[in-house]
Amino acid sequence: MNRARPGFHVLALTMAVLSLTSSAAAQTLHMPPHEKYVLKNGLTVLLLEKHGVPMINLYAIVKTGSAADPAGEDGLASITAGLLRKGTKARTAQQFAADLDYIGGEFESEAGPDFSSVSAEFLTKDLTRGLELFSDALLHPMFPQAEVEKLLAQSVDGVRGAKDDPQQVLGLYYYGYLYGAHPYGRPAGGDEVSLQRIKRDAIAKFYETNYAPGNTLLAVAGEFNGVEMRKKLEDVFGGWPARAVAVPSIPAATPVKSKRLLLVDKDDATQTYFAFGNVGTARNDPDRVAIRVVNTIFGGRFTSELNEALRVESGYTYGASSFFDARKAPGPFGIFSFTKNETTTPAIDLAVQVLQKLHKDGVTDEQLKSAKSYIKGQYPPNIETSRQLAQIIATHEFYGLGDDEVNQLEARVDAVTPEMAKQVIQKHFPSENLVFVLIGKASAIGPAAEKYAEKRDARAISQPGFWPPPSGASK
Amino acid sequence: MKTRLMSRVAFAVMAAVLLGAPVWGQAEFPVAAKTLKNGMKVLVQTDHSIPNVALYIFYRIGSRNEGPGTTGLSHFFEHMMFNGAKKYGPGDLDKVMEANGGSNNAYTTRDVTVYQDWFPRSALPLIYDIEADRIQNLSFDPQKIKSEREVVAAERRLRTDNENSGLLDEQLWATAYIAHPYQWPVIGWMSDIEHWTMEQLKHHFEMGYSPNNATMVVAGDVSPEEIFQLCEKYIEPIPTHAPPPPVTTAEPDQLGERRLIVRKPSQLPLVLVAYHIPQTNNPDFYALNVLRTVLFQGESSRMYQRLVDKDQIALDVSSSVDPAFDPTIVEIAVQPKQGVDPQKCEKAMYEEFESAKNATVSDTELEKAKNIRLAEFYREMRTINGRANTIGTYEVFFGDYKKLFDAAKNYSAVTKEDVQRVANAYFGAGNRTVSTLIPENPEEQAKP
Repeated sequence: MNRARPGFHVLALTMAVLSLTSSAAAQTLHMPPHEKYVLKNGLTVLLLEKHGVPMINLYAIVKTGSAADPAGEDGLASITAGLLRKGTKARTAQQFAADLDYIGGEFESEAGPDFSSVSAEFLTKDLTRGLELFSDALLHPMFPQAEVEKLLAQSVDGVRGAKDDPQQVLGLYYYGYLYGAHPYGRPAGGDEVSLQRIKRDAIAKFYETNYAPGNTLLAVAGEFNGVEMRKKLEDVFGGWPARAVAVPSIPAATPVKSKRLLLVDKDDATQTYFAFGNVGTARNDPDRVAIRVVNTIFGGRFTSELNEALRVESGYTYGASSFFDARKAPGPFGIFSFTKNETTTPAIDLAVQVLQKLHKDGVTDEQLKSAKSYIKGQYPPNIETSRQLAQIIATHEFYGLGDDEVNQLEARVDAVTPEMAKQVIQKHFPSENLVFVLIGKASAIGPAAEKYAEKRDARAISQPGFWPPPSGASK
Repeated sequence: MKTRLMSRVAFAVMAAVLLGAPVWGQAEFPVAAKTLKNGMKVLVQTDHSIPNVALYIFYRIGSRNEGPGTTGLSHFFEHMMFNGAKKYGPGDLDKVMEANGGSNNAYTTRDVTVYQDWFPRSALPLIYDIEADRIQNLSFDPQKIKSEREVVAAERRLRTDNENSGLLDEQLWATAYIAHPYQWPVIGWMSDIEHWTMEQLKHHFEMGYSPNNATMVVAGDVSPEEIFQLCEKYIEPIPTHAPPPPVTTAEPDQLGERRLIVRKPSQLPLVLVAYHIPQTNNPDFYALNVLRTVLFQGESSRMYQRLVDKDQIALDVSSSVDPAFDPTIVEIAVQPKQGVDPQKCEKAMYEEFESAKNATVSDTELEKAKNIRLAEFYREMRTINGRANTIGTYEVFFGDYKKLFDAAKNYSAVTKEDVQRVANAYFGAGNRTVSTLIPENPEEQAKP
């Protein structure tokens, strides 16, 4: 045994102890202990020591996401995040890359609908350098004009490239068509038109407005000494000047009230990619555990009703699933699959029938029991690494959820009754007014798909933007 | 979009990440090994940090063991292994496993077929019962075969026919190889997917699925003793039969550059370039990985700096190598920006190769490459899943899992001169195949 992997050493020593208690331990999930405190400038810090692998993960949430992008400038939050490492007070973009790669580190920054995130990972031995790089990007980006232009041009081509693979963009069309003018309808990464409108001044302003200690949560997890870490974090982040931030609230999202269908033409496609559903639930919905149990049965695992019907029994597809993308305001619910041109409507019909059957027949006791075991048995690998743990404690804090999300998961799953399952199906799984998006060869699949909705829209995938079509765009 | 149910991923995603991804460092951890009487080797890595287990079975059979008319059979078989045996009939395997908290997947490569189970330790005996059942008593239900053909055809349409990089990748291998079985795609040609016979399926099963042709790796909340006991009960009684015949066809030296162009509707062009390199267990493995790291890994890499950052002609450039029993290729992917002539990207890339041939890399670059390997070692080793896959991949492709612990020494021995030598040895124009996608759009789509 080598000291380079102290974690395994510790594990080996504690093996005997653990094996005595393993039957009890195997039944109970626990978040590792962690602490929360607030620096004088308002930065909330979450610390989680986890020994075993000599690495450290940082995960910061800036509580403003793409939902705050100004109309017509979709992608602003995303571009701002992407530019953090592209030129700072201390480094050019090239120097930042060289310093990060030299320690084998990783750095990621992006914007989702509810928040922006900045994360880094490096070996414990490189703590000082790693923290310095992370804070340089988060606190001191300079947004050099040349780098702004470079990233915007790359991002426009990135959208075009994504459209060559329908699977990558189906969600963007679906969210747009489902939410319309609501911020959750906008593409977080922008589109071919909106990205070309974004100017450096808007980026700098977005940063100044939103990247402030009082609007930020920083989670640190991994192998470190807590006392030393607190001191280092104070040194690095204590001087980040406090600023008042007014985070725009996200408007309530209500379900769509009538059926509609968007057909996106990709003339060379030999299969159709489809999504349908309606507005789903918020992240803190009190029914969230029961929803998870029911969705596991319906479309959340290999033996789900959707996958059984569309893949296992009929061979229509390689995979069919359903999801709730739960957010601050109610996020999308969708059913997703793909099938060859010839079986497009039979596959969609079957998926609709499976949804109707869920409403009519509910779930069986056996399915409930199985889904509960599945969720409990599959959960532990989600809290295995410090990378996962840093992200979990930060997002729980952001959404106002606590450790009970993990610690009480098993008890809450076990408490789901057939009656609760019935209620969440009625309340949260849409059955009427379905919103459909199909990407495929319109001339082959369009006429047969007309039956799904009287209100229909159509676009070609080569046309810029998603839905609604960007204003001021050439055709 | 959540697509986690698109499980049973066919291609070598995990394995490619692995050996393409690096291993380095002084680290070691205990692995218990035992060879069963029927020839199956079992490796156990104990880790009680979560109450779960990752179990991998590597069968040494892949698309290199196929031939014209049966391409894709290994991968099809991978699917059929979930469709019913004697005790666990059609649909039972997944239902019983999920009802006991477990999940599964599998992948097929040109060289191996790998089965993966992830489950709480309470499901241990059940998993062994399932695995033993399907290794011995797989059923060949004509109805299941018919519907599974459709599923695989859908998978092919998803990953190859409607996906530019998948399409171009298939063309690249088919052009880079003229003799060796690596030339056909793992998923198989569509006409073969449609026409395999029951006899061919049964023959393939008998050939590949003998215990002495497999290695089992178990990582997680287990003890070696309990695993070996379960193996004695469930796995050891399974009789051995002849493994697949050796693949004797050797790819002849390439005599000159090969080029192909695919024209199809598309927004962006794409370039894939292949160079022939030796099989995974060749000593040049380490120097080649260091060279690839310097050239392709991270935003400070030479290719990124040149093509993406300085010339601004590409969105992305990367390289990958799959673990392989036979001489293989390093595959380079360049995503040009819209409207950029792909040959411009090629030219810039070849210039960077030339400078790596003409002068040694810097001390800083060599050090950086080794640091990246060390960090990636820990990234791969921090989960029970990563350890199970890595241990198995080393055992199968290097012939001994302990080689994993020699990687430190082997990377440390790589010199700047070694890196320069492999750049010269393998990255010549005559040794490469270039596959290019040129957008060709119908009139109405071409208008802005």
